[in-house]
Amino acid sequence: MSEERIIELLIGPQHPSSGHMRLVAEVDGDVVVRLKPNIGYVHRTVEKLAETKKYIQIIPLVERPSLADTANHNLGYVLALEKLLGVEAPPRAQYLRTILAEMNRIHSHFYGIGIHGIMLGSSTVFMWGFADREIMIEMAQWLTGARLTYSYIIPGGVRRDLPQGFEDEMEKALRYLERRLEDYDRIFIRNPVTRARLEGVGVLKKEDAIRLGIVGPNLRASGVPYDVRKVQPYCAYPELEFDVVVREEGDSMARLLVRIGEIKQSMRIIRQALKQIPDGPILSENYLKMIPPKWKEFMETKRRVKFPAIMANLRPPKGEAFSRVEAARGELIYYVVSDGSVTPYRFRMVTPSFRNVVLFEHLIRECRVADIPAIYGSLDYFPPEADR
Amino acid sequence: MMNLMDLLKWIINLVFSPWLFVPLIFPGLVTVFIVILFIIWFERKLAAKVQLRYGPLYVLKQLGGAIQLVADLLRYLFAEPIIPESADKLAFMLGPIFLFAASYIPTVAIPVSKSFYAFRSDISLLISLGLLTFGPAITLITGWASNDKFSLIGGLREGYLTMAYEIPLFISALSMAALYGTMDLIEIVESQVGWKWGLFLNPIAAITFLILALMSTSRFPFEIVEAESEIVMGPFTEYSGILYGLTMGASYVKFYVLCLLFSIMFLGGWKPVPKFLSWSPIAPGVILLLKSLAIMVLGVFMRAVYPRYRIDQALRMGWHIILPMSIGSVFLSLGLLLWGVVS
Amino acid sequence: MDSRSEAGLESIIEKISQSLRELSTEIGTKDEIVTVQVEPDNLLEVAKKLKEIGFDHVKSVTAIDLPEQKELEVVYHISSLGNLDLAKVIVVLKARVPSEEPHLPSLIEIWPSSKYLEREEYEMLGIVFEGHPELERLLLPDDYEGPPPLRKEFEVKTEGIQA
Repeated sequence: MSEERIIELLIGPQHPSSGHMRLVAEVDGDVVVRLKPNIGYVHRTVEKLAETKKYIQIIPLVERPSLADTANHNLGYVLALEKLLGVEAPPRAQYLRTILAEMNRIHSHFYGIGIHGIMLGSSTVFMWGFADREIMIEMAQWLTGARLTYSYIIPGGVRRDLPQGFEDEMEKALRYLERRLEDYDRIFIRNPVTRARLEGVGVLKKEDAIRLGIVGPNLRASGVPYDVRKVQPYCAYPELEFDVVVREEGDSMARLLVRIGEIKQSMRIIRQALKQIPDGPILSENYLKMIPPKWKEFMETKRRVKFPAIMANLRPPKGEAFSRVEAARGELIYYVVSDGSVTPYRFRMVTPSFRNVVLFEHLIRECRVADIPAIYGSLDYFPPEADR
Repeated sequence: MMNLMDLLKWIINLVFSPWLFVPLIFPGLVTVFIVILFIIWFERKLAAKVQLRYGPLYVLKQLGGAIQLVADLLRYLFAEPIIPESADKLAFMLGPIFLFAASYIPTVAIPVSKSFYAFRSDISLLISLGLLTFGPAITLITGWASNDKFSLIGGLREGYLTMAYEIPLFISALSMAALYGTMDLIEIVESQVGWKWGLFLNPIAAITFLILALMSTSRFPFEIVEAESEIVMGPFTEYSGILYGLTMGASYVKFYVLCLLFSIMFLGGWKPVPKFLSWSPIAPGVILLLKSLAIMVLGVFMRAVYPRYRIDQALRMGWHIILPMSIGSVFLSLGLLLWGVVS
Repeated sequence: MDSRSEAGLESIIEKISQSLRELSTEIGTKDEIVTVQVEPDNLLEVAKKLKEIGFDHVKSVTAIDLPEQKELEVVYHISSLGNLDLAKVIVVLKARVPSEEPHLPSLIEIWPSSKYLEREEYEMLGIVFEGHPELERLLLPDDYEGPPPLRKEFEVKTEGIQA
């Protein structure tokens, strides 16, 4: 009579809080016995498509998988491409790249906090998270011209310079966000219901995190101070001062607090970068000298880059390049193999969400059905980024 | 042979006679509909104000989208109610209808004023609370009839939660009955003279009754039965059209009844009756309605503040914290009687 | 500060080269990347040695299709998360297998972080990792029939303007 105690729940793509993936849960009463993730619902074959596109066309292609965090993906790919080409961006461009990457980190973390809130049932934090995200998205639109997929970082530099008055508006925006973060603290983080739902739930121990290769805020919430911006600094990070936010508990509350701490550190980085930014060109000399003088005058007045003709047919020499950046969700890896033609020979992209998929099987065990969305939200897993 | 005037007088007498007026018009069916229309709109507006957005806006823009719910109700009426093939058809269709009816039947025992009531009985508090216990059983049947794993889990959650809130609810009401010495709702209101409202005499019972009212009707933070991010819509996953509209309203109706009882037991009911409302025996009911609406607004505001609890946390809260508090309120009532605060 | 970390980096790279000299066919270093070419039979030995040094996870597994030589080259990028000095170094392990019989031992016993990475290369290029507990489809749809997509023989269908 009690043979069929275990129900198989398909928390599939059509579910209010499953994202674009399927979780096959085996549930005994209210306790989850096993959970198996089934990913691949939004696989868009980025790696194969990249072998048919020219190097400059891959920039929009690479941004599309992770819509919440496009500048870091763009940056990682361009760093790999610059290693192949042997070009380096001027210092002003490095600072502009850093500013955009940190703005992106802020609005990606607000997205993660909002989704975590609605999975717990707090529609207030969901609406607030998405509203506060708009501040950074509109600042990015002013800087780059697009709201989410900027395609701002090109090999050799960036596309546009800072508009007039950007520094003051950014200071106002950052002060507003600091006041809002206090609201989040009072209403959401110190809320007794949130603490009851998140503390002690989904604990990831330090050895397991290292052994499974977890990256991002999930790793730093378990006590491992690994951040690519400190281990192998790129762009303007060697000259900027910031802390790596680390917590020891490893539960869902720690992951949430690490994300909030990282937002504060990103605001600190943006303020420093805007103060320290040097003057100079925004495109590397190799490419600047290929632009005809008539367009150079346009570039001076409008402070925008006109692409030299070579960018349409970049032919890096034979070789391979490996680059890693710290995206909002973790460490992002690009490995590009070139054979001297206008398209890459092999393009490999390992996203942080793909490396974190194993946490679904590992963490959601011996817990309750109501813990599935609580843990899922705290991992900040983005299915299109994992499936590419 | 009766002429037209006599016929009209006979109809008006019939409609205004208490045993027809109270269950059907006030505080019965018609008032229930109006209250649902108001309170759901107000909940959405209130939550929207906290969440930096507008809420319902476009339907009757001058009033701020006040009749949005009328538009929603019309939409539900015209949508196709789809009945899955593998569901138990009779239980599937009758479930929401019985649930809605069972939620508002207790209004039959609630008096509107000192001299206007459907029937008088000296256990009317017990009758109205007892009639409320039909709901969870019907929810369980609805969850089973849908033939869907998520509905099954939702129905079982309702059954579990009943264990947590039913007993302390009755004990809190019992403590107030002990304090006033009667279970007759009319006499309970009449005993609350001057400042001696139940809220000030026995605040522990008031707090536990309010929390249990939230728990038994899926208000946040106890929205466990219909937890959207875990079990889609709980027992009501497969419903569409007017059946879904009925399920949505059923929990609000139950909350309305519990708020009416709260106003009667703790907030003085329809007293004090101002002079301009004493021309008809029905008019003091307006005071009762306003007090209940105030408590309902407090209850639905919780949506903007709290996430939802897990079911084992709600059960633990019900047994470890609320049950001892309600037993403590019984002792408080007995103590007040002993010291002569209330005779 | 920079010169001391440079010296530390060089000593680590020197230590790696020393311990792997016999087992590998070729070792090259550039900046912080150490490239080690091995035979498929020595792969497990080299992996165990690297784990002893302190490298504790696999960052990415890439397989490259080389149709002229009828070979598939598998490239592992390995680094460390727990040890912040070793984290600067990236060890690149390369192994070549014939296209007809692409079998390689799975590194999952040594580094569990390679589980999903190897599974993806299995379905995209057809490399069979022996010893992997769950070698099945991950990203492709269940009803996909045809050659492994990332091989050069599989051409992306384009319409209209050629890329």
